[in-house]
Amino acid sequence: MSGSAPARPFLDPAVVARLGTLELKARTIVEGFLAGLHRSPFKGFSVEFAEYRQYMPGDDLSTIDWKVYARSDRYYVKKFEDETNLDCHLMLDVSASMGYGSGAMTKLEYGACLAASLAYLMNRQRDAVGLSAFDDRIVAMLPASARSGHLRALLLMLQRLQLGRETDVSAPLHQLADWLTRRGMVIVISDLLDAPDGAIRALKHLQYRGTDVIVFHVLDRDELEFPFDRPTRFEDLETAEQVTAVPGAVRERYLERIHGLIDRYGRELGSAGIDYHLLSTGEPLETALLAYLSTRSRTS
Amino acid sequence: MSFLSPLFLVGALAAVVPLVLHLLRREPERRIRFAAVKLLEDAPVERTARKHLRELLLLALRMTALVLLALAFARPFFGAAGAAGGGAVIVALDRSYSMSAPGRFARAQAAAREAVEKAAASAPVGLVAFDDAAEVLAALSVDRAPAIGAIEKASAGAGGTRYRAALETASLLLGGRRGSIVLVTDLQGVGLSEGDRVSLPASTMLSVADLGPMPDNLAVVSVGSDGDRVRASIRNTAEAARSAHVRLTLDGEPAGDRAVPIAANASADVVFPVEAGAATASVAVDDPEGLQADNVRYIVLGEAARQRLLVVTATGDLDREAAYVKAALEASAPGVAAYELEGVGAAQIATWSPERLAPHAAVIVLSTRGLDRRGRDLLSRYTAAGGGLFVAAGPEVDGDVIEDVAGSASTLQLAAEMRRQAGARWMAPVDLRHPVLQRFAANPGVLGLARFRQVARAEGNACGVLARFTTGEAALLDCTSGAGRLLVWASDLDNAWNDFPLHATYVPFLHEAMRYLAASAAADEVLIGTPEAGGTPPGIVELPPAAGRPGASPRRLIAVNVDARESEPARVSEADLEAAITRLKDEPAPPAAMAAPEQEDRQHLWRYLLAAMVLVLAVEGIVAARTA
Repeated sequence: MSGSAPARPFLDPAVVARLGTLELKARTIVEGFLAGLHRSPFKGFSVEFAEYRQYMPGDDLSTIDWKVYARSDRYYVKKFEDETNLDCHLMLDVSASMGYGSGAMTKLEYGACLAASLAYLMNRQRDAVGLSAFDDRIVAMLPASARSGHLRALLLMLQRLQLGRETDVSAPLHQLADWLTRRGMVIVISDLLDAPDGAIRALKHLQYRGTDVIVFHVLDRDELEFPFDRPTRFEDLETAEQVTAVPGAVRERYLERIHGLIDRYGRELGSAGIDYHLLSTGEPLETALLAYLSTRSRTS
Repeated sequence: MSFLSPLFLVGALAAVVPLVLHLLRREPERRIRFAAVKLLEDAPVERTARKHLRELLLLALRMTALVLLALAFARPFFGAAGAAGGGAVIVALDRSYSMSAPGRFARAQAAAREAVEKAAASAPVGLVAFDDAAEVLAALSVDRAPAIGAIEKASAGAGGTRYRAALETASLLLGGRRGSIVLVTDLQGVGLSEGDRVSLPASTMLSVADLGPMPDNLAVVSVGSDGDRVRASIRNTAEAARSAHVRLTLDGEPAGDRAVPIAANASADVVFPVEAGAATASVAVDDPEGLQADNVRYIVLGEAARQRLLVVTATGDLDREAAYVKAALEASAPGVAAYELEGVGAAQIATWSPERLAPHAAVIVLSTRGLDRRGRDLLSRYTAAGGGLFVAAGPEVDGDVIEDVAGSASTLQLAAEMRRQAGARWMAPVDLRHPVLQRFAANPGVLGLARFRQVARAEGNACGVLARFTTGEAALLDCTSGAGRLLVWASDLDNAWNDFPLHATYVPFLHEAMRYLAASAAADEVLIGTPEAGGTPPGIVELPPAAGRPGASPRRLIAVNVDARESEPARVSEADLEAAITRLKDEPAPPAAMAAPEQEDRQHLWRYLLAAMVLVLAVEGIVAARTA
């Protein structure tokens, strides 16, 4: 019956944008997403029962299975699959270019919402999650932790993030690669409007350190489609450089360049075993969660 | 800089159009803060700053072109600002015969030239020459050549001085502009008659280039014939006694000369016997240093036939109904011809034929009682044909009847109801230059002695007011009726409403009035400056007979003489002149209609502006091609 139920539609980012706090946004996305998962092929993955273990003093009394006790008159506690120690680190680009947004959310808001949702989901799965914000350097960092209060701190940090300076993906990633001591997962959320050579090299650096890397390449719909039609003076968000262009005359060249960039990231990162996902700020965030869970399932 | 067609300057507002278009175009070229500008970097678009500069240049060029076009259509010129703003200068040059002393007019010309040259370069200058009348010799122009040329060609004439004519003509020439009038004159006192008023804008400055008092002068001020003698009066205006050498000419031939001692500032008579048969005579005095035009005077000799006047009364009995008029007009004296009077009842004249009326030099209407339609038509035809009519609007005269006689063309209105008004009034002359009153110009006060108890109300658009009562009503009107003249006396002539017949001025007044009405028929002398003289120079003139003119005589010789009053050395002050001017509130200066087109035509600035516009458009085309 569950399989025949209609799939719950993902939340439109415009709807998400209207939700109050980041925590509410994350909970709404993730709970709705997981509710949908019960009717999906991913069902049963999350908090699987693993084994019973005899109660030992110090164990949480709430974990005692009273039904087993009734049958066997012995105390057993439940052990679950999700009680793993995956360290996941979210890398959120807060450079000035992330401030662009033609729809309900800017790229930064979309990225923050995505990071919050991922953190919420990870926290719910007892994975340790950390957060770093960067532009051309790491501007804020919260080490990974699975404690219950950690999520609130992470969400608060996301809430307080400010737009920074120019993008330089490579330096922060190299820095992070040097910091990470345990194998884990790094999720990079960025518009990657940077020199692709450096960015790819840094991402590969992380991969070589045994870290699973997921890249969410967040771009605005305008950046992907260049829908402008009137003569426009474009001012760079990071450098303030101005270019006056007749969109009709430059659109083809621009799209060729942006899609070339996307193709290159997809191609080179894919060949290095790095999951690369292009996200438009108009897409539902659940798409990204699916991508994460897909990778997570492979690594667990 | 001024503009011939300043309304076209409104077209300069079109220069805003490119600006508005530019601003409107700026909006589509919106400014967007974009993240992926790096990817646009190599795209084939122009850098903003450079394009912006070119756009501003194009905008400036287009606006400039439109402004230049508007300026060209407005036809600008330099110099008219002075004309409109107070720089116009009118030089009024006195060419009366008081300027005819040797070297005197040359000094006047020099003063006029100096006034022209002293005017600001941008100020238009005009030239008016005047004596009895004024004439514009050079219209307003910034070009000095016409005025200077006209000054060089001008010469002193034989006319008298009349400042009113000069100032009125100068004012007309100014045409409401702010400016000044420079009067180049010797300030002859005779030039300003009592009652002369001129209206000038308050901003019009009047200055006088005074040529100083008249030099010592000998003048023949009158010549009369007394049967076999010619009597001439010689006037010495010098402060010392002089001996005048006086010469007589009969029919163009010298007929004698005399040396006459004349006391300082006095006159002396010279009598020459003349032979019978001479038709004309002239008396001349040698005066090489003084005024030249008054050195000779002409006279037509011979016993003038007594002119016939018709007096219309109630019954035609002149002894009873026109005793004062009869006595006055039949009296004769040296220089005053007697008239032959005929009386007729107003009712009887209807039986007259035009041929019977025609020989009368003038008709005096003292009564309209019984004057029927036929009689009115007869008198109307008489005046229309050139006859003179004197109407004494006394108790016997019906105003409606006189209006019928005068005809609709005269627009005369004579009050039918005679009003007795409270209090007495006296007569004051208005135009002492009029032939009827000219004789009283020297002492106009004598006309004001008569006391008028009752008057008629007379007025007419085609009538000139020669005298008024002190209460403001017209006393004497000079109207035209066809080819003739009509003098309307707004009271009676028979001691009924006034005591005028009891005063000494009564007789000369009536004689002058009749002389005026019968002028073309009877005159043997006209003065320069009167309408009868026209432009005729002094001398003896033979006139063609006036065919069909009532009262016309077969005589065809007439003496044309200068007005002797011009020889009087009395002067008027600048203050007197200013006092005769009524200052009017300045009106907004009209466009410099006369000078501006001329200046604009000479400068042709619009051509340069159009050329500049074409150049600007060419540059705009080049810049636009590079910007596209």
